[in-house]
Amino acid sequence: MNFQQILVYITLAIAIGFLVKKFLWKKKPKKSNSCGDDCACH
Amino acid sequence: MSKSTIKVALIGNPNVGKTSVFNQLTGLNQQVGNYPGITVEKKQGASKLSDNVKAKIIDLPGTYSLNASSIDENVVIELLLNKKDEDFPDVAVVVTEVENLKRNLLLFTQIKDLEIPTILVINMADRMSLKGIEFDLPILERELKTKIALVSSRKKTGISELKSLILNYESLSTEPCLNASVIDPDYFNNLRRAFPNQLLYKLWLVITQDVNFLNLERNEIKNSFTKSHSDLKRLQQKETIKRYQFINDTLKIGQKIDASKATDLRAKLDRVLTHKVFGYLIFFGILMLIFQSIFDWSKIPMDFIDETFTSLSAYTKNHLPAGEFTNLLSEGIIPGISGIVIFIPQIAFLFLFISILEESGYMSRVVFLMDKIMRRFGLSGKSIVPLISGTACAIPAIMSARNIENWKERLITILVTPFTTCSARLPVYAILISLIIPEERVFGFLSLQGLTLMLLYLIGFGMAVLSATLLNYFLKLNCKSYFVIEMPSYKVPMFKNVALNVIEKTKAFVTGAGKIILALSIILWFLGSHGPTNNFKNADAIVLQELELSQNIASIEPELIENKISSYKLEHSYIGILGKAIEPAIRPLGYDWKIGIAVVSSFAAREVFVGTLATIYNVGNHSDEEVTIKNRMAAEINPVTGEKIFNFASGISLLLFYAFAMQCMSTIAIVKKETNSWKWPLIQFVFMSGFAYLTALIAYQILK
Repeated sequence: MNFQQILVYITLAIAIGFLVKKFLWKKKPKKSNSCGDDCACH
Repeated sequence: MSKSTIKVALIGNPNVGKTSVFNQLTGLNQQVGNYPGITVEKKQGASKLSDNVKAKIIDLPGTYSLNASSIDENVVIELLLNKKDEDFPDVAVVVTEVENLKRNLLLFTQIKDLEIPTILVINMADRMSLKGIEFDLPILERELKTKIALVSSRKKTGISELKSLILNYESLSTEPCLNASVIDPDYFNNLRRAFPNQLLYKLWLVITQDVNFLNLERNEIKNSFTKSHSDLKRLQQKETIKRYQFINDTLKIGQKIDASKATDLRAKLDRVLTHKVFGYLIFFGILMLIFQSIFDWSKIPMDFIDETFTSLSAYTKNHLPAGEFTNLLSEGIIPGISGIVIFIPQIAFLFLFISILEESGYMSRVVFLMDKIMRRFGLSGKSIVPLISGTACAIPAIMSARNIENWKERLITILVTPFTTCSARLPVYAILISLIIPEERVFGFLSLQGLTLMLLYLIGFGMAVLSATLLNYFLKLNCKSYFVIEMPSYKVPMFKNVALNVIEKTKAFVTGAGKIILALSIILWFLGSHGPTNNFKNADAIVLQELELSQNIASIEPELIENKISSYKLEHSYIGILGKAIEPAIRPLGYDWKIGIAVVSSFAAREVFVGTLATIYNVGNHSDEEVTIKNRMAAEINPVTGEKIFNFASGISLLLFYAFAMQCMSTIAIVKKETNSWKWPLIQFVFMSGFAYLTALIAYQILK
């Protein structure tokens, strides 16, 4: 494997890591303020 | 935080010019984020007050009072009642405006009663003479027990006085405006005796508001001082009446209004702009103007960007040492970035127009105008704000539905908003329209491409309304409904506000969507440049052997041989195998496997479509010539039929697919958050994508 190929694999790993973090790695949500099906929420 | 930084909370009713004051104080030193745990927008910025002191300014969501009726308003109360919050202000700056001072002062008196040092800003001072309004500031300061800054964010006056007042905030009186005990003396005296160390008005807010108080013994207070809901409401009304009595008495001596000086331009404009016929015609005309301009004005900068990146890609390939990383740069990364940057002009123009409409006060008239229509479809007039904001991005638009009090109307708005054409669809529409719609003019001045774009926006809006009707019929939720909206004064939009909004929104597209597009471009390039089988690895030998068998290889142009090898490789690459696998499902829609890859990858975010095609076509073309994305797409030929891949039928099919499909993971996430359930985003995804497939299929089969 030459130097350019190593750079390609590093770039690829960063790109995959970014997408995984963005879409799959979710922080635990804090207490939600949503109301669900509740008309009298407010 | 050091003592050299003063924490300032900027609070006020909606439409008082709070954001203008924030912009004047902070300039470009702004950060936009969310409050922890919830998706209410949090804007903060820094302002230099003197050589040694600066202010950290938090622009809180607009609220009419401290009696919260929406999640946005809860944010204000939770901050002001929690001294342990890291953003708890050293000083509150309450922004009001000259024309509605009486109503604005209700919030001011409530905040003052929390004994937080409070400065009163009377904004839009430049309109005083126009409206015949005069203030006796010393009297107002004495009665309201505060310091007042008379500000015109438009004329940039009074900001330095405001900074000086913030700097000297410690000298401000914290004496309340209203003694809370007057609301119900017996009840409040008992409350005071039970909690001698707590502020009386703060206790009252804890009892009456349904918000999370992290550091107050809410249950203890509530259990001991429970009153029925109707009793609490009655006391809240009594409090409001007492406050208005105080405000009336204050303004009687501190404000003078000469009605004869007031001009009636606003009423005249309102009569025309909200007219039951002219109102809609004007709105339609404005929309048409916007879409014409987006296409016409963006053409030159877009062509320039496209050509620049194409040249850069060719330069990189020719001047860097040959190898895989050079290929990644020239065929993956640079075309990927180009797929983001090229749409900046159109997105900036769209937000420019939306900002101008909002800033001028016209958008509120549109909300009023649309209420009558919206109500027929189970929506509220307030739904028009998310639906129009949805032209920027569905995520903040769905969040903005929080000010719709009725849950059913809010749910319907959340579910149909993703149909409106967001800025991520714009790049897809722009490139497809330029490929399949000729650059012709109708009546000599209307661009056919611009009209097509407008039609797509109207189709999205129409589908949103149609879906709302269906949901209104099927959803069995009975909620009371009412509609109240404030009509702000007409104003000439401020350049600074418009410019900051355009920069903020365009930046959000480039940094938010841009990173995703770039990451996917890199992965797609890799998948298109590598393959698992021997067919891929021995592509050169296989193609040459095939050519030798079919004709005299010496007579074939070397460039043609190179392109045949590239196409063969792409077909047998990972991406090619994946594309071929899904081809049977998308072929009836008129798409080949390359478009299929772009469609599948854009289910994460639809703006990825153009970048993906740019990457795929770059991988499949090894010519050194400079060819733009658009030309590459236009030149794609179906090897079986010999027809163009992007023809009228497949183009319309693609446009309709993108108009209706739910292709945004972030939107799904925000719908889940706002509805607190996976049920609604799943229904939304299945319905939208299924409908998109069906319409694209019908369109292609009819038009082909």
